Amino acid sequence: MEQHRFAKERLLSSIVERIPTVWNVLYRLPVGQESATDLMERLSSLTTGYTPDPEQESQEASYYDYPVLKQPLWHWEIIWYFFLGGLAAGCYVIASIASLFGSKEDRAIVRTGYYLSLLALLPCPLLLVKDLGRPERFLNMLRVFKVKSPMSMGIWGLLSFSLFSGITAIIQAARDGLLGKWWGARLLAALPQKLLALPGSGLAFFVGGYTGVLLTATSVPLWSRSKLLGAIFLSSALSTSTALISVISRLIGTSGKSLHKLEKMQWTALFVEIVGLLAFLRNTGRAARPLVGTGPNEHGPTFWRIEFGLGLLLPWLLQGLALLFGQRTTAKQGNRGGRGLLISLLVLLGGYFLRRTIVKAGHVSSRDARTTLWNARR
Amino acid sequence: MGIAQSRSHQQVNGHNGAAQLGITALTELIAPLRKEEPAPTQPAMGFFTDTSLCIGCKACEVACRQWNQLPAPEPQWSGTSYDNTRQLSATTWRHVQFIEQIGRRSTEPPHPILPLFTDRVEEARGNGTIPATPPGTALPFFNTDRWLMQSDVCKHCANAPCQEACPTGAIIRTEFDTVYVQQDICNGCGYCVVACPFGVVARDEQGDHLAHKCTLCYDRLKDGIEPACAKACPTDSIVFGEVQKLQEHARERLGLLHERGVGEARLYGVDDNILDGDLHSSFLLLDEPEAYNLPSNPQRPTNSVAPASLWTILAAAILGFMGILFFRR
Repeated sequence: MEQHRFAKERLLSSIVERIPTVWNVLYRLPVGQESATDLMERLSSLTTGYTPDPEQESQEASYYDYPVLKQPLWHWEIIWYFFLGGLAAGCYVIASIASLFGSKEDRAIVRTGYYLSLLALLPCPLLLVKDLGRPERFLNMLRVFKVKSPMSMGIWGLLSFSLFSGITAIIQAARDGLLGKWWGARLLAALPQKLLALPGSGLAFFVGGYTGVLLTATSVPLWSRSKLLGAIFLSSALSTSTALISVISRLIGTSGKSLHKLEKMQWTALFVEIVGLLAFLRNTGRAARPLVGTGPNEHGPTFWRIEFGLGLLLPWLLQGLALLFGQRTTAKQGNRGGRGLLISLLVLLGGYFLRRTIVKAGHVSSRDARTTLWNARR
Repeated sequence: MGIAQSRSHQQVNGHNGAAQLGITALTELIAPLRKEEPAPTQPAMGFFTDTSLCIGCKACEVACRQWNQLPAPEPQWSGTSYDNTRQLSATTWRHVQFIEQIGRRSTEPPHPILPLFTDRVEEARGNGTIPATPPGTALPFFNTDRWLMQSDVCKHCANAPCQEACPTGAIIRTEFDTVYVQQDICNGCGYCVVACPFGVVARDEQGDHLAHKCTLCYDRLKDGIEPACAKACPTDSIVFGEVQKLQEHARERLGLLHERGVGEARLYGVDDNILDGDLHSSFLLLDEPEAYNLPSNPQRPTNSVAPASLWTILAAAILGFMGILFFRR
């Protein structure tokens, strides 16, 4: 408790000390490297509730600081799979909601969503197979159905989801006349797409969120300490997929009303994501340092600048402003379109960097013996 | 000879050969699906590694490497201690740690004042006999400086996170209740590697890209022989046997050490409910587990699945509901 108050006092006094620097910053952009690092450190302490204490940490026992855990073997393939899988799942969910509850003008969103879902899904199995130590044995994944193992459940979920995503997209293609006019196409077009959308979206929600649960069910302190990674990945799946759908919709031209619905959805998903991420940092505490800290090997600079600042907070604020003052600018479609496009691209950037920083910081976290041992104390 | 014959045979009967080839390919494909009758259950077997007896000879490391035909690692000086292996890996299944504790502050209560030889020197000179050492004053326990050694190994957990995580069913419990990676099933997904809270199981990136770890010498157990490391251990620091009996032995040994004044001795993996159960290869340690890089109470990864799923479902419900609200006419 006392330490806490001390940290708060120190924070306050350092803010006061920083006032001249703030002036400097205001007058002389770009920001000096030092004060930027300082700001990020302050943000890390504030969000995680933990200020690093090297002296205290050096007192903790470990075996010559050799890692307690083995490093994850997951690299760019998995980062891209998390991103694309999230997009595929989110696009399916958005399209299904638009199809089941939307009006006639939302048809464009349904169509775009279902096509994008399948498109984003196609590289996923390839990425997953490539990531294996022995890709030719990928079929062994289908030997067992193991409720305890998120990866096993994920494989089955992904498999069934791709079935739904594929059939739904084919039905959509048949209805759009892309498959010609022969009897087969007519038969496909007659299949009940809306009926498939119900179990399909359930599976889509699963695919969008299980990746976070999979990371939580490990021994890596950063991933496992808080239990919120699944919720964060799911909301990011929805925010990035609304962003992707609205990018495409803007490019091909969709009604302003539908876009407005997407914007509201995007803002909400970003909001849940921000809340989730802040709760994640608070719960993870010291173990979140590899993600938010600015020390060597720590991913704070990327996290705060690109992931949180540029990819999450900025688009959320811009979107919020656009929604608040949206009524007046609806007439000026061009202006609105440009800004909307920018917001969506930022959201996509943020979604990718979310996966990237969390996976990469997980590698750093697994190498940190003292924090691993701290995380496992009684 | 046999291969050549069958090849020419196939060439002669092209049609039959192709069909046969197809059948072999098919049987190979479905081979991993075949479920074999499990071997009759045996009593659970495990290790008890008593670090108070370890002399750091590394015979276990060598015996393990030799029996399991594991390649020697590239020699590298660690610069921290006599331990240059540093950690367990895909090709190191026994690993001896050297923990140098020089100039440490003793956390133990001060030792009883022991009658030292100095005040008996005159007496000894007088009658020409060497005074007997009082009981419980063996040398290492006089000094706070010490050199701990521990032969680390797979813990063969009762609830093994690697086994629970494995999505192919490659990691199984054998009839001896040990945790074993089936090399013909594993596809190197790497989930067990991050699931293990002890950093034991690893993927062999220089070799076959599959997960490897201590098998508790399953092949030797099948023939009723004890594992190579336990066989080689010259001080019986590594004991192999039935888990039940080993635990009794561990408790006895702990009592004996406590009685003799080694208050810092403690058991790891016995009676401490690590990972909601016991560790079938347990340890007697002379310091807190962290000094040996052992987590004192690691989370069991599968226990995270339910809460993480609940939070995910909550997020899904909120966002799904909001989506419906926004899209409704």
